Amino acid sequence: MPELEVKALTINFGGIKALNGVSFSIEHRQLLGLIGPNGAGKTTILNIINGVYRPSSGNVFLDGQDMIGLKPHQIAEMGLARTFQNIELFKNMTVIDNLMLGRHRFIQSGILSGSFFLGKCLKEEMGNRDRVEEIVEFLEIEAYRKKIVRMLPFGIQKRVELGRALSMDPKILLLDEPCSGMNTEETEDMARFILDIKEERGVSIMMIEHNMEVVMDIADRICVVNFGIKIAEGNPKEIQGDPKVIKAYLGED
Amino acid sequence: MPELTLPVLFRDRVKEFGEEVALREKKKGLWRRISWNEYDTHVRNFCLGLKSLGLQKGDRVSILGENCPEWLYADLANQCAGGISVGVYPTNSYPQVKYILDHSQSKFVIVKDQEQADKVLVIKDQLPMLEKMIVIDMKGLRKYDDPIIKGFQEVEEIGKRIHEKTPSFFQKMIEDTKSEDVAIIVYTSGTTGPPKGAMLSHQNITSVLDSFFQVLPVSRADSLVSVLPLCHVAERLFSLFIPMKSGCTINFAESIDTLQADMTEISPTIFLTVPRILEKIHSTVTIKMQDAHPIKRWAYDQFLPLGQKVAERKLSKQGVGLLLGLPYFVGYFLVFRPLRNRLGLLQVRECVSGAAPLSKDIMKFFHGIGLMVKEAYGLTECTGVFSMPSGNDIEIGTVGKPLPGWEYEIAEDGEILMKGPAVFAGYFRDEGATQQAKRGGWLYTGDIGEFDERGHLKITDRKKEILITASGKNIAPSEIENRLKFSPFIKEAIIIGDRRPYLTALIQIDFDNVADWAQRKSIPFTTFKSLSRDPEVYKLIQEEVDKANKELSRIEGIKKFLLLEKELDRDDDELTATMKVRREMIEKKYGELIETLYR
Repeated sequence: MPELEVKALTINFGGIKALNGVSFSIEHRQLLGLIGPNGAGKTTILNIINGVYRPSSGNVFLDGQDMIGLKPHQIAEMGLARTFQNIELFKNMTVIDNLMLGRHRFIQSGILSGSFFLGKCLKEEMGNRDRVEEIVEFLEIEAYRKKIVRMLPFGIQKRVELGRALSMDPKILLLDEPCSGMNTEETEDMARFILDIKEERGVSIMMIEHNMEVVMDIADRICVVNFGIKIAEGNPKEIQGDPKVIKAYLGED
Repeated sequence: MPELTLPVLFRDRVKEFGEEVALREKKKGLWRRISWNEYDTHVRNFCLGLKSLGLQKGDRVSILGENCPEWLYADLANQCAGGISVGVYPTNSYPQVKYILDHSQSKFVIVKDQEQADKVLVIKDQLPMLEKMIVIDMKGLRKYDDPIIKGFQEVEEIGKRIHEKTPSFFQKMIEDTKSEDVAIIVYTSGTTGPPKGAMLSHQNITSVLDSFFQVLPVSRADSLVSVLPLCHVAERLFSLFIPMKSGCTINFAESIDTLQADMTEISPTIFLTVPRILEKIHSTVTIKMQDAHPIKRWAYDQFLPLGQKVAERKLSKQGVGLLLGLPYFVGYFLVFRPLRNRLGLLQVRECVSGAAPLSKDIMKFFHGIGLMVKEAYGLTECTGVFSMPSGNDIEIGTVGKPLPGWEYEIAEDGEILMKGPAVFAGYFRDEGATQQAKRGGWLYTGDIGEFDERGHLKITDRKKEILITASGKNIAPSEIENRLKFSPFIKEAIIIGDRRPYLTALIQIDFDNVADWAQRKSIPFTTFKSLSRDPEVYKLIQEEVDKANKELSRIEGIKKFLLLEKELDRDDDELTATMKVRREMIEKKYGELIETLYR
């Protein structure tokens, strides 16, 4: 059974049909690249899976359970984490605090023990910090731990956002343009982190990315959308040779 | 009675200190202590693990990666089993790694992480002697199914099981190590030609320790941060050999980016450094001070000359006096103490700079802030250190007196010759080079030097690098280069002038500092290249060169110079692994440019 299954998604914004019957699925430990020209509806798909939009019709299944109608926080509880195209971190908080926030779904102690920082709460906090430190090490952001996010370079902020998503211990990770605005070196680092997340942590990933080199290099499968319709799906080689994809990107002659 | 070797010293320290801290490593944001007993367990298990993988006495084992406790475990474990450790610079490119693994005929290679493992995987088919690659951090490698790969922990597990079956085996191996056995091979960085592997025996190591401790005693209470590459003999001496005699603590920073903060947290008492790092600290402080609050800047400008005056008095053994002492006391609390604390150098009682000549101005700067930097001199071939100032008997511009236990002589042409138990055993698989270096019992250092009336050694330059101008004047380029590099805007300078009518220089600007300067002056630039080409930048450097020229004799003055449009790089063979300039290579590469300076 696929880990995440998207079936015949359709959504209308006013009179515009932003998505029209898009279906695809992600197997366990698979990296699916979602590509397409600007305005093709890629981020909309992410927003539906994540519970921000409710589709006009269609279904999203996580481990066989239908998620349509659930709120984003409920979906997050089920083990689905995401990052955003424009970084959505708490800019005036430190890196560690941002990552600790990602652990929210694991916190069980109440207000009372929390305000005195006693017993169970302290133990929980230490356990969560331990996990967060593991991620700090994994993403090599040791030097920024106590820094305020606003002051950090863009590439590092992107890494911190990925870290926050990871600290939720997700089963599935949705990445919206993880490499946008990065230089070559930062892009290479990011690609390596994404691969390691898949390999080391066994997380399935769906990634929207415009940097074709990265997508072709690391994705297991690629799904191409254009004007709200899926026009192709396959492994990177197949996609590169697909006439419909070439047409969508380069136009007709 | 076992012979005196490094493993025997290690065993003795473990017995002596047991549960006390031997190493500290920052992990997950916390400093974690590793006791001597834990140190011993790791070394023992890894040693037995290596043995079961087929390590024989005399086999070479290479270690490739940044400094970490496992580096030391692997090195010691291998030596305990009678193997020979070979350190490889983690910055080496894969052809350079291949050269060393191939030349040393390594049976095993221990690598830190995926980055290093990937280099070895590219070349492993060309290395018939290589049997296993042992990886310390398996992150990103678990999906590789190459049979050559083994995890560090896996090897330790094997060793642990062997130890449970035969508990005395490890002790027996340690007792079997012989003092004349080769312990490590250190590949010299080689400013000319390919690197050569200097073989150092246990006896070399123990004898250098003996003489070192007479000049600079290290105790259990001392602590060091291991920063420089462990494959270099000086860092090996400080991070591995010295603790085996003194029991001092070695600390490993979390990463290179956190080094400054980690230094401040540990505040080491002994600091081994190289001129490049001191130059960097000096230029960072100089530049940062421009951004500091005006009051801070004022205090810094006022007290720094005062600090230098006090340092001069101390060096010349004069009393400081109340007139200087009182304001200095104020300056200490206002400027020097906070500055040194920020740099993580507050507790440093001994600061030793080596590996390359240090500029006098840099030295004076550090003495001014109360850090009595001393310059040591040595070669890989003499197990690291030959001479070093003792206590506060520091004479700026010299490397102090030779350590006890050395015989020495200055040859007719000025070359320094030395003789003693710490002279290396020879170059591995290079009899010709060995005979070249060791003649009639003397080690020919290739360095030109002289003793002053008080017996302090002054190093002029490498013999090969001495320039002879067209008018027949001998000139030591490194001194002039260092004078130029004192400028925060100049990162690298190469003096040209052999068989030429006058001296010229190729200069590489310090990108960070010049970029900072350009931003203040609103000079637009995009890359290193465009910055180097800017006429305003040329003017800036011209001023810096003029300043240096004022302090040099007329014949040593730099008539013309040009700015390099790219940064010198190890990967382009322009720098050695220790970041020394490969003069020949550069003169060849930039030959045409150089000619334009003589038209």
